[in-house]
Amino acid sequence: MGTLTEEEIKSDLRPDRPWVTVVWDDPVNLMSYVTHVFILLFGYSKEKATELMMKVHVEGKAVVSSGTREEMELDVQRLHEYGLWATLQRDDEI
Amino acid sequence: MSGFLRSGDEKIAITFSSQEAHVLINLTEQIIELLSEEDGGTHLSESHSVDELMRMVGISTNDAPPIDPVLLRLLPDAYGDNEKSAEFRRYTEHGLREKKRANAVMIREALLPQDEDWDNDSPLDVAHITCVIESEAAMAWLSGMNDIRLALAVRLDIGKDRDAKPQHEKYELMTESDPMKAVYAVYSWLGWLQESLLNLL
Repeated sequence: MGTLTEEEIKSDLRPDRPWVTVVWDDPVNLMSYVTHVFILLFGYSKEKATELMMKVHVEGKAVVSSGTREEMELDVQRLHEYGLWATLQRDDEI
Repeated sequence: MSGFLRSGDEKIAITFSSQEAHVLINLTEQIIELLSEEDGGTHLSESHSVDELMRMVGISTNDAPPIDPVLLRLLPDAYGDNEKSAEFRRYTEHGLREKKRANAVMIREALLPQDEDWDNDSPLDVAHITCVIESEAAMAWLSGMNDIRLALAVRLDIGKDRDAKPQHEKYELMTESDPMKAVYAVYSWLGWLQESLLNLL
């Protein structure tokens, strides 16, 4: 990892969950496929996964998970493996 | 044209016409080729030389985003920030390429005739090819088909404008002689195949 600024270090040490994974809408991934990937990767119920998928579809993006930076990097990596368009950022940048 | 069907408790079967199998074999080969790391010039970075030791542990010294828009769609940036994206790419892109290649290789191998005498250039002389896959391989098939659709979508210009006219109208209005109409037909067919497999899960 590169050199963190003082602010980033403080943020990383915060006990709450300061990083989030965002999935962005794209017209290629099927709605049923996206829902299935959310269930598989995050263990969400069908209802929750469907709700998140609809949020991505209607609003253009949705936060699908939160945690430490390392955890979110892993989530983004797994979402990319399935072809979803995902990025991570700090919670307060949303 | 038929979709995926249950075959016993643990398996799923699909039958392709030889023409369909040919199309899919060809597309998986394009994906395998595209994802190979011997793609000199597709990255913006000038320092293309990959340190072998770094490579062995899955770290790439090449951390610039791909120039090819198809490759960029398959290997997207993880951060809005270029510097952070580059660092992430250095540690993860190699692994991501390998996973995607493995899915394409798996689909290709399932479609190739098992006959040892068969060579790649001769036409498939059977009318139909049936693949029987384990249920646990379903996600790899879905993901592999999805990568092909993502690649085709970039070529078809699907996805740039959220408010654009529905694509199917645009392509339905094209004349039969337009090659993009055939590409769109393959794109739609793969979506339909994905849906048929998802229905079984």
